Order: sequence, then structure tokens, then C-alpha cells
Amino acid sequence: MGSTEFVPAQARRRRRRAGLLALCAVAAVVVLSGCTVNESLFFDLPSPASKEASITQNLWQGSWIAAWAVGAFTWALMLWAAVAYRRRHRDEVPEQTKYNLPIEMLYTLVPLVMILGLFWFTAKDQSELLTLENDQQHTVNVVGFRWAWGFNYLDEGVYTVGLPVGSGTTNEPATLVLPVNEKVRFELTSPDVIHSFWVPSFLFKMDVIPGKTNVFELTPDKIGTYVGKCAELCGVDHARMLFTVKVVERAEFEAYVADLKAKGQVGTLDTGRTTDAGQAPDERTL
Amino acid sequence: MTILGDRVTATAGPATPVVRKKSPGAMVVSWITSTDHKVIGYMYLILSTFWFFVAGAMALAIRAELAVPGLQFVSLEQYNQLFTMHGTIMLFLFATPLYVGYANVIMPLQIGAPDVAFPRLNMLGFWMFFFGGITVAAGIFTPGGAASFGWFAYAPLSNAVNSPGVGGDLWLLGLAIGGLGTILGSVNFITTIFCMRAPGMTMFRMPVFTWTIFVTALLVLIAFPILAAALVVAFVDRHYGAVVFASENGGAILWQHLFWFFGHPEVYILALPFFGIASEIIPVFSRKPIFGYKGIIFATMSIGALSVAVWAHHMYVTGSVYLPFFALMTMLIAVPTGVKFFNWIGTMWRGSVSFDTPMLWTMGFLITFLFGGLTGIILSAPPLDFHVSDSYFVVAHFHYTVFGTVVFLFFAGLYFWWPKMTGKMLDERLGKIHFWLLFVGFQVTFLIQHWLGVQGMPRRYGDYLPADDFELFNTISTVGAAILGISTLFFIWNVIKTQRTAPKVTVDDPWGWGASLEWATSCPPPRHNFVTLPRIRSERPAFDLHHPELAAAAHSPVVEGSNK
Repeated sequence: MGSTEFVPAQARRRRRRAGLLALCAVAAVVVLSGCTVNESLFFDLPSPASKEASITQNLWQGSWIAAWAVGAFTWALMLWAAVAYRRRHRDEVPEQTKYNLPIEMLYTLVPLVMILGLFWFTAKDQSELLTLENDQQHTVNVVGFRWAWGFNYLDEGVYTVGLPVGSGTTNEPATLVLPVNEKVRFELTSPDVIHSFWVPSFLFKMDVIPGKTNVFELTPDKIGTYVGKCAELCGVDHARMLFTVKVVERAEFEAYVADLKAKGQVGTLDTGRTTDAGQAPDERTL
Repeated sequence: MTILGDRVTATAGPATPVVRKKSPGAMVVSWITSTDHKVIGYMYLILSTFWFFVAGAMALAIRAELAVPGLQFVSLEQYNQLFTMHGTIMLFLFATPLYVGYANVIMPLQIGAPDVAFPRLNMLGFWMFFFGGITVAAGIFTPGGAASFGWFAYAPLSNAVNSPGVGGDLWLLGLAIGGLGTILGSVNFITTIFCMRAPGMTMFRMPVFTWTIFVTALLVLIAFPILAAALVVAFVDRHYGAVVFASENGGAILWQHLFWFFGHPEVYILALPFFGIASEIIPVFSRKPIFGYKGIIFATMSIGALSVAVWAHHMYVTGSVYLPFFALMTMLIAVPTGVKFFNWIGTMWRGSVSFDTPMLWTMGFLITFLFGGLTGIILSAPPLDFHVSDSYFVVAHFHYTVFGTVVFLFFAGLYFWWPKMTGKMLDERLGKIHFWLLFVGFQVTFLIQHWLGVQGMPRRYGDYLPADDFELFNTISTVGAAILGISTLFFIWNVIKTQRTAPKVTVDDPWGWGASLEWATSCPPPRHNFVTLPRIRSERPAFDLHHPELAAAAHSPVVEGSNK
């Protein structure tokens, strides 16, 4: 603190008061704007609608608490350096310090340890999110095509398909109906370009890639209607490649399947689906 | 364009003949035929600034379209062209050539060289950038419009079936040509740094900026040949039926690997030289040497090394990469980046910090880039990336990192080296207005986009539904973009005002505490940079020259208190 000794006590007090005032101002803004913790610190993460999403939510919140702490510390350091060591006299000459090895070791090793901690948590969670246990109760083949979605319910032998939606159209998006608390295996396939299957409320997305079948499992655990979107640029109507997810009671799901059967939507859509066995012979062309 | 005229007359060496004002035509000829590294550097800086304004105007159009739901100004196809060209121009025609520009102007001065190693290769590189850029942008004027497959041109969207039209071809070939120019420039810089350092200028006495140019040039040699090859193969795919990137052969993922093997080092190619600029500016305005000089150089090398092992973090959601490896590598890169932060803060610590425009811009960079780093850590964790990948959260993240670094430090460097380049100081008051408007405009535009992304707004959507409830935040973001756009008018005004009214700089070092060799020659320097070279006995030769009494104390093993 060599240089602060030049400052008269009065000025120092004034500075402390200014700092306190600024802190109060920040607190006041947060309180008055009525933001919740989720809105202000966690960017208003959608509340999770699947078992897996709760894992993601925990990691998201834990990581952000750590990130904000690191940020607050580092911002405070740089602002402190800017304010406390601002030039006071035209001819000031500070000490020409070049190295301080212990401090340099400290600020190399501490971040390293923090990063390894974060890595440990993410590695644990990602294997939980992605491991395929093959104990699913339903299998849905998601077909992303330019610029809408189709869903083949492989176990139930029915399908549904939608149209591009958005301003200037009255088209209906495809609806994916899922029974609550039952594990679903998603098989993602594309007949044309890369798309990405994103349901923000599941806090998860996976790319839909032509020439490759991507698979993940998920258990919806909250009844409700959610939006789904294509998240990978796929051409002109990319912004219209939307769908709806409805998580419903078992009985309602069965009624929905029966309804599709009654409408004759049985079998599967042609999907550009490639498996080890090649294209399924009974797939219908879109 | 009067820079050149001033450049010659301001050279106050005894051997300089009196030069009469050249006619504009003669000046243009002397510029476009020049092999002087400084003139080529100025041309790079001017041309990249031009592209910055072009792509910035596109950004304003994008924000205008997104302000409210529905399509108001452009069609969805035009929107796709807008963000494709915005990204392409900003990255390939603004930020990358900006590195070549700054390196050209400053690096030879910093190592005490009379020019670069291959002046004519240098000139060739510039003209490849010039014509490559025109080729890329020419797509806008073709019947089918410019390329619209995004700046990373994913296969098979970018193939002849899904994106027909000559715009895509011009995009591929223009970038290949421009990329070759960048490769030639980098070969030149590496050779110059290895072979043309002045006597006494050992590698570990080189300024941090020169070090970052060196590491950046190495990264260019690793990354850009891959890009050029991939671009040419994609062109052959489109026209001659090579099925290299056909999806039935796994081409969709192959393209991503090749593109990002270029694309991730590219991010550090953009960042490192600007970290170098920050490392030049902070010591000058803190009146201290850079804190932990060797640490910051090892950090630069570590970033360079790690940056070639992180590419697949752009591919977490493809389900095609080994996540733990790329997650760990990506997280590790935070460590050397963090080290740099503490080096910069340590330089200010117990210094005498003044907030002239270059320092103000650098502070803006520190505050902004830190947040981009934090969101980067979040994104490096695959489970979190699964949700926010390809959303506005990512858009906000990379604007905090790339804009935070490149644009803030681009302006910091201009305010800092303007007297060295032109012999005149930019106006401080206008510079500060410029900074504050841009800083506030930037934060308003991009901070709020984190919320949009987390709540579910995907990137590259020209439209969204009123039911999405994204309107308020998008409107705020657009207002911020308008403020950001207005701020640049103050910069243009500043340049014009300075050119007309600012007095000539008559000293070598107008900031008073410059450390590296460019501050030991006139403003602007003579044709071959130095009339005499000072003795180089530390990593601060200009400081040693101008402050011998302090230099002696600084180099003695024990530093005795304040020299006051």
C-alpha cells in the first residue's frame, strides 16, 4: 500500500464512503428490479422437465456460483488497481517490480485446481446424461428434415409429422407426445442436412446428422407443453423448424396412439435412417 | 491519405531531403507499389477497418430485423446471407488481416529491423487479401445472392444441391486466396523474428507483442493450410462430384473436424496479438514494466499449444467426439489465460495508473473479456453446453471474447500507436466519448443475449414467435446495437479532426514511458525505421534510453524503494 500513505485521511474516508455507496446502489438495483436468484445469477434457466435436466440444473447452478465468485474477485482486483493506484502526481515514479515468483505460482496453481474440480463434476454428469442403459419403455425416431419434424413411435408403430411454422403461415408444428415418468430412447436421423433437436425445458440438445444415427435416453417427469426447436442452421426456413412437446399421463398417451392408428398414421416415415442393417425396407417416403 | 506525405516530411533526420507534396495520383501509385512494411501495414489496417464498417452495418441490419417478431426488413434467405457475411467478413476480412496489419507496422520496429524479411512476399500477401476479400464480397451482387450457409459452411448444407449459386463458390475461393495471403504474411513474420532482430535483442528481450505475433504466426501455419485445403475440396465437391464431404461417407462430421481444426486455433490467432497489444499498453500507463514477463510468454506459448487440441468443443452436441478429452483441454486453456489477467493486474498494482484513451480501452477489454472467459468455462462443460450450444448464449459468449478482445484492443492500439504511425495524437476527449458510447452500447447489446439463449432462443433465427416472449430483450439488444453504431461516428470524426488540426508530434515517445524500440525512433519512423539504434540491454530498451537513472535502479539486483 505504499502509495496510499500520500493520501490524507479525509480523502481516504471519502473514498470508502463512495465505495459503500456504489455497493448499496448495486444491491438496490437487484432488489428493486425484483429479480429472483435464478433470473439474476443463473440467466433464468428453464425449470427442468426431465430427470436428466435436474442433473444439468445442479451443475449449471454450482458452476455459475463458482464462476461469479471468480469474476467478482477478479473484477474487484482490477477495479481496485485502477482506483487505488491511479496517478495522483504528474511525476510519480512507482517501484519497478518485475517478478514475484510466489504470487505467480499461486495464480497459476489455484486456477488449475479449480479447473480440475470442475472437470471432475462435468465428467461425472456427462456420463450420467449420455450413458445408454437400454432399459427404455419407448423408442422414438426423431426425423429432422428441411424444415419440419417427424416422429416415428417405433414400439407403437405410429408416426406423426409437421410443417414449417412461423409468421405468415397457419401451419401446425409436429407434436411429440410423451408419457410422463417413462424412459424414452430418442434416435435422431436426417435425410438431408444437419439439424439439431432442442427442447429447452429438457436442458438438452443433440445434433441430427445425415449418415449417422444419434441416440440418447431421457425421462420426462413434469406434465406440460414445451417448445422444441431446430438449433443447427439448415437453410432458409431454419427459424420455422419448430415442434411441440407434450408430456402427458399414460392414459392420454395411449389414447393419442390409438388416435394416430385410427387416422392411418401407422408404420414409419422414410427418414434417411441408416443403421448397421441399412435402410428399413418398409419405410415410407416423405 | 495524407499520412504518407506527413510520413516523409516528419522524418527529421539530417539526411532527409525536403520532399514536396505529392499529387494524389502519385501518392496512390507510391502506396500500391510499396514494399515498405509500414505502408503495407497501413493498407492492411485501412482495408480491415473498411470491412469492419461493412460487417458492422450488416450487424445493425440483423439487429433491426430481430427487434420485434415477424419479418420487417429482409426475407429469411436475406437474413441468412446477412449473418453469414457478417461473420465471414468480421473474422476473415477484419480481425485476421488486422493481426497482419498491426504485426507489419509494429513488429519490425520492436525488434529494431529495417523492414520484414520478405518485403515483396509481404506485398503479395496484401494483394491476395485485397482480391480475396473482393471475391468473397462479390457474392452479394450475384443473382442468387451471397453465401447463406453460415460462416462455418457445414456440409452437406454447403454442397451444390442445398446451396446452389455462385455466391457459395465465390465464398470458398475468395477465402482460400485470402487465407493464402495470411499464410505468406505469417511465414514472413516468423522469418523476420528469427533472422532480423537487432544486436542485443535476444528472444527473451523481445516485447510481449512481438512474442504474441510469433506464436500467432506459428498457429496460422498450423491452421490455415487445413482451411485452404478444406475450402478447395469443398469447391471440387460442388463442381466436380468429389464426394469427400458427402454425408453417406461421414462427410458431415469430417467437414466439422477439418473446419474446427482450423477454427479453434483461429480464435487464438485473433486473440493473441491483441493480448500482446494490452501487454504493451498497460505498462506504459502504469509506469511499470510488465509484471511476470516470462510468465506471460509461457502463458502465450501454452495457449498456442493447447489451442490445437480443443477444436471439438464446437462439436459436443454432434455425439461424435470423445467429450472428456476436449472438455479437459478446453478447461486447461483457462489457466494460462487467467495467468495473463493476473499479469496485467499485477502490472497496474502499485503503479501510477493514468487513463489516457489507450488505457481506457484496455480497461474496457479487461472487464469485458473476463466475462467472456467465465461463460467460456461454462461452455467448456459438455453437460452445460448441451443446453446452450447454438443458442444466443453462445452468440453473446463469442462477442464478449472476440469483440471484447479484437475491437476494444484494435481501438486501444490505434489510439496508442496513432502518433507513431501518423505523427499526430488523436483527440483525447473524442476518444473518451467514443469509448464510453461503445462500451455501454456493447454491454447493452450483448449482456442480455445470455438470457435469451438460456431461455431458448437459437442463433441464426431471422424470426421468432410472439409466444416465445423474446421481444423485450431483443428490443433492448437492438437499442444497444444502435448506440454501438453511433459510437463509431465519433471515431471517424476524431480521425478527420486530428488530420486537420492536431499539432505534429516532435518527440520519439509522446506517452513518455514507452518501453519497446518503436518509441526510440521518430513519429513516424523513417523509411528504414531507425537513424540510430539504442543499446539493447533489457526488454525495455526505449525506457533505458529515456530514463537511464531509473533503468539503472531497475536492473540492479535489489530494487530500493521508490526512486522519487
